[in-house]
Amino acid sequence: LSARPRRVRTSRLRRRLTLAFVLAAGLSAAALAGSSYLVVREARLSDSVDRSIDQARFNLVLAGETLGQRPSAEEVSVLLDAYERRGGFVTVGLTGERRVSSSLSVGPRQVPADLRRLVRAGELSYQRTEVADVRYLVVGGRVPGRAAELYYFFSEERLWDELGQLRNILLIGLAAVVLLAGLVGIVFARRTLVPVARASAAARSLAEGLLETRLPIERTDEFGAWAASFNEMAEALEAKITALSEAQVRERRFTADVAHELRTPLTALVAEASLLAEHIARMPTEARRPAELLVADVRRLADLVEDLMEISRLDAGQTRLREEDVDLSSLVGAIVRSRGWDGRVAVDGSEVVLTSDPRRLERIVANLIGNALEHGGRDVGVRVGRDGLGAFVEVTDHGPGIRREDLPHVFDRFYKTDPSRATPGSGLGLAIALENARLLGGDIDVWSEVGTGTRFTLRLPVTKPLQGRGGGVSRPGDDGVRQSQGEEP
Amino acid sequence: VNERVLLVEDDPSIREIATLGLTNAGFRVTTAADGREGLIQFRNAAVDLVVLDVMLPALDGYEVCREIRRESRVPIIMLSAKSDTVDVVVGLELGADDYVTKPFEMPELVARARAALRRAAAAPDEPVLARGDLEIDPGGFTARRGDRQLDLTATEFKLLLELARRPGQVFTRELLLERVWNYEYLGDSRLVDVAIQRLRSKVEDDPKEPTFIKTVRGVGYRFDSS
Repeated sequence: LSARPRRVRTSRLRRRLTLAFVLAAGLSAAALAGSSYLVVREARLSDSVDRSIDQARFNLVLAGETLGQRPSAEEVSVLLDAYERRGGFVTVGLTGERRVSSSLSVGPRQVPADLRRLVRAGELSYQRTEVADVRYLVVGGRVPGRAAELYYFFSEERLWDELGQLRNILLIGLAAVVLLAGLVGIVFARRTLVPVARASAAARSLAEGLLETRLPIERTDEFGAWAASFNEMAEALEAKITALSEAQVRERRFTADVAHELRTPLTALVAEASLLAEHIARMPTEARRPAELLVADVRRLADLVEDLMEISRLDAGQTRLREEDVDLSSLVGAIVRSRGWDGRVAVDGSEVVLTSDPRRLERIVANLIGNALEHGGRDVGVRVGRDGLGAFVEVTDHGPGIRREDLPHVFDRFYKTDPSRATPGSGLGLAIALENARLLGGDIDVWSEVGTGTRFTLRLPVTKPLQGRGGGVSRPGDDGVRQSQGEEP
Repeated sequence: VNERVLLVEDDPSIREIATLGLTNAGFRVTTAADGREGLIQFRNAAVDLVVLDVMLPALDGYEVCREIRRESRVPIIMLSAKSDTVDVVVGLELGADDYVTKPFEMPELVARARAALRRAAAAPDEPVLARGDLEIDPGGFTARRGDRQLDLTATEFKLLLELARRPGQVFTRELLLERVWNYEYLGDSRLVDVAIQRLRSKVEDDPKEPTFIKTVRGVGYRFDSS
């Protein structure tokens, strides 16, 4: 009846929530780690500069005391020995033409040119440089009162190693935080969305008609409030629908009761009218016509009450099916014959056996043919057959047809195509026929064209092939049984 | 011969008009307004046919039907309010022979009454049928298995006779309705099914494994003498 609701991918929202959580945690952790790394790095580097400059200053003083005005090779080697004992740095000295170095890998060539310019100008300066993949802090200065420049190469490898380790630790920590945030985010998102999933399941079950569906109110947050208002809505809906269906039940019971109460006086009326009918011919002329009308109207009333009873039974779902194997075309033939319609209705069709309730079939088919005769007059055709959709009984008349605007309403209860004209039936016939057809698992279609005629098609499911129908077996209307009747004494 | 009909119906109008109609049709009619009175009338007067409303004060139609069946095989026609529901079947299972749905036209009731009485009429010139240890005497309206006399109603007897006359022949429900109940077209096949059930319970040793009256699935019934 209703379109199946589109399934929304709930995982998308969950993914988005998790991602947001990871991003927030990851970014703040990265910012924190990054800034602390920079602070530590800054502090360590400037500390290294301070210490190196202190040492360089002391070294220069020491050099001033050790070296003469024109430093000899011995003086230089004494100084380098003294430096060696202090350890921790490589010294490059430049005095006049002489160049000395305490290391093989580091020489005057490795002294940065900018630094040399500053030192020559008499300043104690430093610069960082890299020699053969080793990072050094080079502090240079002039030996006070001597024409000598000394450059101390302090290796900062350990410092950089430590900073590298710190960076690695921080990166690992950051990765761990992101991972953890992801996990927590998934769990958190799932927990957060549980009430959403539950609410959508509840809404679906409500839509499917389980009006007693409620949401548990386990939390005091927004979801709790939401669940409470959902429950309020469900409560209101349930109350409304219960009230409506109660009203409908009352109304239907009233119809059933009325019909039932009418039945006893009606039974008397029908019996009385039927007796009266036998004597109409002998009545005085002035009483004859009223008596005829009385008899006809009592029949009409009886039909109406009968139809009301039937439709209220159908509404109440109190109907039972008594299914048996039925040959549709012999049933239709019998219906036509038993009502004396032989001359006016042409039945055409082959044997179609199905399992169904013959009394309900009779009700439907008799109604459709009766209608056709009433509205279409002569030339009513009935076709019985089977096609891809199942079995069908097609009743066609060549009457005036049904107007297009009336066509969708022909199965409505008490629907009159022309309100000014009294229709002979109860107005329930087609509604009952349709209800019965549906009860049998079938349906009724209508096709009509003004001026051409109308065709009603009863469609029935063909459930299973009939079993046990052997050679010596016969059906009503079959030759076997009837022939043997003829031999009877 | 004017057959006597007992009409048990609580509504005065229906009772009066039905009496009038049945009388016009040549029956002698006795009436009762409730179940208890109906039963008393039945015991006091010899009756050929009972027309019994289902909904009755004092004692309902089913009870009356059950009581009458305990002491008599007289044909019973139930007047039923609904043809659709179980009450028809309940009446038939209690031994009613036929039913007429309210509202009814008098010719219909008269026709059903005549058909029921015709079933109950003996056919004295027909010979006794013997099928195994089953013996059916159309003249005496009796059937026996061995030494045991079978207590059959008129309808059950006619049904048995109809089937037993042609062993091996398959009878559709429609044919049985026509020949036993005198329905022309489309009678209620429940009449046949319930009567067959009751007949089996009286004739067969084990009604669930019938040896005489066999069901032919999807078609009808067949009498087997073997």
